[in-house]
Amino acid sequence: MTKDLQGAEAHVPIAVLDDDADLAASVARMLARCGHRARAFTQPADLLAALEGADFECVVSDVQLGAMDGFALAEAVRGRDPDIALVFMTAWPTTSHAVDAVRRHGGVDYLEKPLDEERLVAAVGEGRAWAQRARQRGAALAMFTRREREVLDLLVLGHSNKEVAEILAISARTVEDHRAAIMGKSGARGLAQLVALARGEGA
Amino acid sequence: MGHLHLDDRPARAGALRTWLPRRPDLPLLLAYGAAFAALHWMARPWGGGSGFYSLWYPAAGLRFAVLWSRGSRLAPALMVCEVVTDWLTGALVFTGPHALHDTLGVLRPGFSTAIAISLVRSVCERNERTLCVPPMPLGLAALAAPVLSGILVVPLDALLDARAFAASTPSARFLSLTGMVVGDLLGILVLAPALLWLAGLIDTPRRPRLGWPACVAWPPRVAWQSPLAWLTDALVLGLCLALTLALWKTGLGLQPSPAMLGGAWIGLRHGRGAAWLTILADLALFLPYSALELEGAVRIELHLGIAGVVIVTWLAGSFADAQVAARHSLDKRNRLLFQAERLKTLRAMSVAVIHEISQPLSTLAIEAGHLHREAARHAPDIAESAALVDRKARTLSELVRRLRRFGGRDLDEPSALPVAMLVAMVRQMVAQDVAARGKTLRIAPMAPDLVVHGQEIELAQALLNLVRNALAQTCDGLVEVRAVREGSHVALGVSNAFDPAAAHSNGPGMGVGLMIVRSIVEAHDGRLEREDGDGFVRFTLLLPALETTP
Repeated sequence: MTKDLQGAEAHVPIAVLDDDADLAASVARMLARCGHRARAFTQPADLLAALEGADFECVVSDVQLGAMDGFALAEAVRGRDPDIALVFMTAWPTTSHAVDAVRRHGGVDYLEKPLDEERLVAAVGEGRAWAQRARQRGAALAMFTRREREVLDLLVLGHSNKEVAEILAISARTVEDHRAAIMGKSGARGLAQLVALARGEGA
Repeated sequence: MGHLHLDDRPARAGALRTWLPRRPDLPLLLAYGAAFAALHWMARPWGGGSGFYSLWYPAAGLRFAVLWSRGSRLAPALMVCEVVTDWLTGALVFTGPHALHDTLGVLRPGFSTAIAISLVRSVCERNERTLCVPPMPLGLAALAAPVLSGILVVPLDALLDARAFAASTPSARFLSLTGMVVGDLLGILVLAPALLWLAGLIDTPRRPRLGWPACVAWPPRVAWQSPLAWLTDALVLGLCLALTLALWKTGLGLQPSPAMLGGAWIGLRHGRGAAWLTILADLALFLPYSALELEGAVRIELHLGIAGVVIVTWLAGSFADAQVAARHSLDKRNRLLFQAERLKTLRAMSVAVIHEISQPLSTLAIEAGHLHREAARHAPDIAESAALVDRKARTLSELVRRLRRFGGRDLDEPSALPVAMLVAMVRQMVAQDVAARGKTLRIAPMAPDLVVHGQEIELAQALLNLVRNALAQTCDGLVEVRAVREGSHVALGVSNAFDPAAAHSNGPGMGVGLMIVRSIVEAHDGRLEREDGDGFVRFTLLLPALETTP
């Protein structure tokens, strides 16, 4: 699951952001003890700057951060890398925030302080698994052309070649060509593997 | 709208038994018969011949008061009682061509009074307009009863006494009926308020939980006034009466207009009690005069004037009382509002405090958990200390989460609350106070499945108020709290030994505290009951029990 020992510097998949430095460090250490190496941040700007070089899979962020709130940060993070999982924590829980965190910002969970450790660890684990799938899918889809991706999406939805042709207003023959190209590039042997591929479940 | 008695609604059709008098009614009916005869006799000087009804008929006031306070179900019994009384006194004979007409004539006023009262009540019950706010229904019924009675005379006379009816001119009939309506109206307005007040005095101790309705909250209220105010009032009233006498001396007869001014003045300033006394004073002036040999039309004119005086005076008094009641309810609302504001501030403060605490507590709990796990490998006493710190941090975290529910997002979401938890919470809140004042709060063991559904903070506040009151009032230092199930309700009682003689007067704000309790409990579909026992007092919160799944 982790790619800890990759070169001299281990990969750190988690970022923890809280304006309380003690808490940020404490959460980071706790996650590390549970097998999720984490780096603590106290400023949103620092975290955004670090996004370039690092390869975070999950960001655990406080909602109230002073100048920039957790949700604005979530937007900024997603703008740079849509495949990072988000976990929110807050000392001012409200129902509307909880709904926003999960629905609008795609958060994995919304935890109130004092933190429930087990729930936090579980959320981070789930977030990382999601991020890894999203990345694999992204990597798999990167080799296809735009038209091939469209064809793949429709095939995964269960449409036949003929139906795909009708929907995309191209000939069935062309669809067959695209399908062959997809199979060739991905090395998939059949529709089931294509579905797994589209879900980010390995090629 | 005042319901003095629970049985005062008209019975459903067919329930004939409802209309029969019951054994406890018999003394009342006997007394009614005697009083009716006496009042009827007293009205004679104002009767006059030639078909005029009495222009001052206090018996109508007696009838009205009994039907208003005891309910329309007594109407048939009263009607029979009046017939018997009139027969005994010789006012009614059962022989001759007019027997039926005369008997129906005696039955008519009781019938129309009962109908008028029932009508006004049923209309006012379904209506919340100004006219239906006490004491207005009483005034409406007092006006409607004689008018209805007067209207009913016409068909009775036309059908059963056709010859006499044909012989009289319409204007003579109208004059005669006006006289009757005026006489009854005067009788009702003068006598009924005093009688209803007396009835209230008799009833009140028996029914402490029925709020005494404003329409009869009537005992003359003599608030302290500056001597100057008394002097002004006496001067105004004296001037008005003097003006009346002066006009009389000039040969204009007794003119009621000055008395009307005086009555309005007194009524507006002092309410219904003083208004009624003023009415009595006016009557003492006018009635002996109108009992003299006066020409019929002149007397009717005078009595119309007197009726005007009485109505204006009474209305002015009612209006002043209504103003006072409105001011009281406004004050009450202001106090509640103040309390609500305070609660709001407290909530906002607690949310802020919770936030400040939860931040460092998060760190503390995480590190304590870590230490606890790591310390297992060290010496037992270190492991034990770490375990203790971890446990306390967890307890504190749980507490903060619950406190947040108290003041934060779940504020308006009622939840299932074990009564034992509410009681424990309140005990914690008063613990310091109890210890400092050397008192004892005894909590009887309570079943864990006593659960109510409601807002934690409000119910805790209600119980807290009761416990604080009890602690302040107890005369042996002991306050007891117990909760039991009573049918579909949970009865949560707070009792203390109570010595009315030694009890210091209710401390400031105590009334407000109870008011808050009542409004909170009623908002939860429950009620507050007070029980005064031998040397103790108990307040009980009755709340709908929440069925817990076994």
